[in-house]
Amino acid sequence: MTRPGRFAAVLFSSSMIVVIACGGRTNERAEPGGLAPLEATGVITFGSVSLNPAREHEVFRPFVDHVASRLGEVGIGRGRVVVVDSISKMVEELKKGRIDVYIDSPFPVGFVWKRTDIDLLLRRWKRGSETYRSVVFVRADSGVKSVADLAGKMIAFGEPFSTSGFLMPKAALASTGLRLDNYEDAAASIPPDRAGYVFSNDAENTLFWVLKDKVDAGAVNEDYYQGLAGSRISELQIILTTGAVPRNLVCVRRNLDPRITDSLRALLLGMDDDEEGREVLMGFEETARFDPCPGGPERQLAGIVDLIQYVEEDVGQ
Amino acid sequence: MWASDRAGRRDARVRIGLRGRFIAFVSAIVIAFGVVLTALAVRVQNDRLRHELDERGKLLIAVVANHVTDSLALLDVRQLRQMINETLEQENVLDAVAFDEDGRILTDGTVENPSRHRLIGEAARQHVAVSDALLVEFSGDVMTVTMPVRLGGRPLGGVSLRYSRAGLAEDQAALARKTALVGIVFGVLGVLAAALLTEAVTRPLKEVIEATRAISEGKQAAHLQVRTADEVGELAAAFNEMTRRLRETTVSRDYVDRVLETMGECLVVTRRNGTIALANNAVCGLAGTSEEELIGRHCGELFRAPKGFASLLHALNPEGSVHGLETEILTSTGEEFPVMVSIAAMDESPGRSGRYVIVAADISERLRTERQKEEFITMIHHEVRTPLTAVRGALGLLDGGVAGDLGERGRELVANALRNSKRMERLVNDVLVSRKLDFGHMTFHLQEMELMPLVDQAIEATSSYADRHEVRFDLHETAPGARIEVDPDRFIQVLTNVLSNAVRFSSAGDVVKVSVNRHNGCLRVAVADCGPGIPEKFRDQVFEPFARAEEADWRNKSGTGLGMSISKAIIEELGGAITFDTEVGGGTTFHVDIPESDRLRESHVD
Repeated sequence: MTRPGRFAAVLFSSSMIVVIACGGRTNERAEPGGLAPLEATGVITFGSVSLNPAREHEVFRPFVDHVASRLGEVGIGRGRVVVVDSISKMVEELKKGRIDVYIDSPFPVGFVWKRTDIDLLLRRWKRGSETYRSVVFVRADSGVKSVADLAGKMIAFGEPFSTSGFLMPKAALASTGLRLDNYEDAAASIPPDRAGYVFSNDAENTLFWVLKDKVDAGAVNEDYYQGLAGSRISELQIILTTGAVPRNLVCVRRNLDPRITDSLRALLLGMDDDEEGREVLMGFEETARFDPCPGGPERQLAGIVDLIQYVEEDVGQ
Repeated sequence: MWASDRAGRRDARVRIGLRGRFIAFVSAIVIAFGVVLTALAVRVQNDRLRHELDERGKLLIAVVANHVTDSLALLDVRQLRQMINETLEQENVLDAVAFDEDGRILTDGTVENPSRHRLIGEAARQHVAVSDALLVEFSGDVMTVTMPVRLGGRPLGGVSLRYSRAGLAEDQAALARKTALVGIVFGVLGVLAAALLTEAVTRPLKEVIEATRAISEGKQAAHLQVRTADEVGELAAAFNEMTRRLRETTVSRDYVDRVLETMGECLVVTRRNGTIALANNAVCGLAGTSEEELIGRHCGELFRAPKGFASLLHALNPEGSVHGLETEILTSTGEEFPVMVSIAAMDESPGRSGRYVIVAADISERLRTERQKEEFITMIHHEVRTPLTAVRGALGLLDGGVAGDLGERGRELVANALRNSKRMERLVNDVLVSRKLDFGHMTFHLQEMELMPLVDQAIEATSSYADRHEVRFDLHETAPGARIEVDPDRFIQVLTNVLSNAVRFSSAGDVVKVSVNRHNGCLRVAVADCGPGIPEKFRDQVFEPFARAEEADWRNKSGTGLGMSISKAIIEELGGAITFDTEVGGGTTFHVDIPESDRLRESHVD
């Protein structure tokens, strides 16, 4: 999930739901409580959280059309995309049964999973990777050698709802006992027993803020770190690397017709077997494939759910 | 006829005429002018475009620098990336970066940001460290502009962009196309202008050339129109004046051709080697051949060598001419036509290798006539004079009384017959003498002797005739001892003829004055009568044979009409001359001049 910023979020009403039908019907607004049984309507609804519903729809539409067109044997004739602007909304929509399939990062999924009945269906290899992790880094000459040394220091995270840029590293830092407070100004004075953090809203910002000594530490996706540090990587030092979490997860509402769930699982697992499927996957945020969650869904979510407690307020916003 | 001239004209050579050179020259000037003008325009345009592009680049960097100040201050690289990315979308921007105060690149506008952490150029870094002014660097078609950004005097970094002047190249290509187009237009206009200008300049010259060529071909040159008052106009006027004078002093070739073709005499022009270069129709007709066949042949093949000469041209006198030479033209069929030839040199010092004009007149008719005359004279001599002599003799016998007394009436008739027969005998004798003189058959027995006795004898011989007319001779001036070399009989014949003429035109009682004196180296015998004088119309015919004046009294007093012509011929044969002074109503004086014998004259002078 991406979220440009809080300012942008204000632009959207908290109750706004954008429903975009696929397979020939678009911009169809869902009627609350009026969703007909799947078998009767033949529609499967995919949900996503974004402050840019049009762009999100463009990303989802080919994929949803492809999937819907291959679920005819279980009564599905077309697909639909519902974009909401907050995870809380997503929880609500899932509870009302207006969204059948929910695809998102592990922390939002864990947050939703704790609040409504969804089943973890598959792991999505978004951007070609099955898992990712975050690193917390400081300048090598900063004197900060461990997480404990961050007390009284300012940390830069990326976007507020980014798993790798904020939720996961903050949860990891908090899980060590470090208490973190959010600040608007990176130059704000921080109590010595606590760490402050600001949102840079961009991994590249985070990197330069650390390099330019605007903040004491920063957290970014490990995949980006080396690329961002580049030739100056020797000037930095990683003091924390989080555990790996699935890159993206596919969930279905628990009361969805099992035949549809089974058919959907089978369809997604085999989607990368043919050229057409691979092409659709590549257009869907460079998804390499779908595969079952290693060790089962519960194991995947267990570690995440443990960390979510440290960022529950942040995710729920 | 003008084969050699025509051959010369056919020897046309490939050449670039004045017209071509003029067109090329003017075209080159106009095209060069157009190209230079266009090149200057292109240069100015290029400078303008370059300036505009440069200014556009500078303006763009200034705008970008203004917008990135906050982002640089906040170190908001994401915002910088967006701004730089938008900058990259601007026309002609090759790449753009935002850099920090150390000159390290923060973003190049891309997510990948491969330029990240790199240092900007050394010159730009040094500039940014000390200046907040715009730095402009050029490298080929690329302009690099670097704008330092400061906030409150604190350096934040800056932005730098590389600005392509490829747009300039595109504009230059468009300009090049325009230049080429202008060049073509100028070229076309140049050629057109050159052609028009050349036509205006060379048309009069062309007319002069054509007129000159016409003259060289012997044709009548047209009058040229003087259109302008410039040098060309002066040329046309001068040409007209030249042709006018030429017409006054020469004749056209056509005219000469017509003359030559229509003239009855044969005309041949030879080259220096004696071969025929020109032959007119008359000679072709007479020789029975064509001009083409005659041209190139030696004139000796056409004209027989005159008697006494090895060839026709050997008959030329030292001046290279000869007149009245009789010879023959040899025809293609082997016949010979008698001709009288006159030759004149066409060169000043011709010798025998000069060019000559040979004019030959066909004299075959004249010779035939002369033969007829000869036959007539012979006939007169044999068929008239001989019987007449017999008749006169018989009448003389009758008059002498051989046949007895004829009675008064019979004697009158015989006397009348005898008188007329004598008159007829004189006539016949005059005719025969005249003929002899004409043909040069008269024999002169020259003797050196005193003049005065001859004069006396002539007066004596004519005195009875004068007595019958009651006219008296008065020899009032003499030249005693003066000697001449003459045939005395012929000289006396001349004098008696002059004296009898004077008597005949005198009235009874008149005196015919005779004088002898020296005149211009000659001895002159002058015989003056008091007669009516010779009518003016008749004066030119006095010495013509059978000449008679129209006036009635003159006709009555004329003799055979041969006397004066015979006298003139005899005197001229003797080396003298006979002339007269006359005045109507005032009498006539005949002068017989005869050269005085040299030896005696010299002694007389001594």
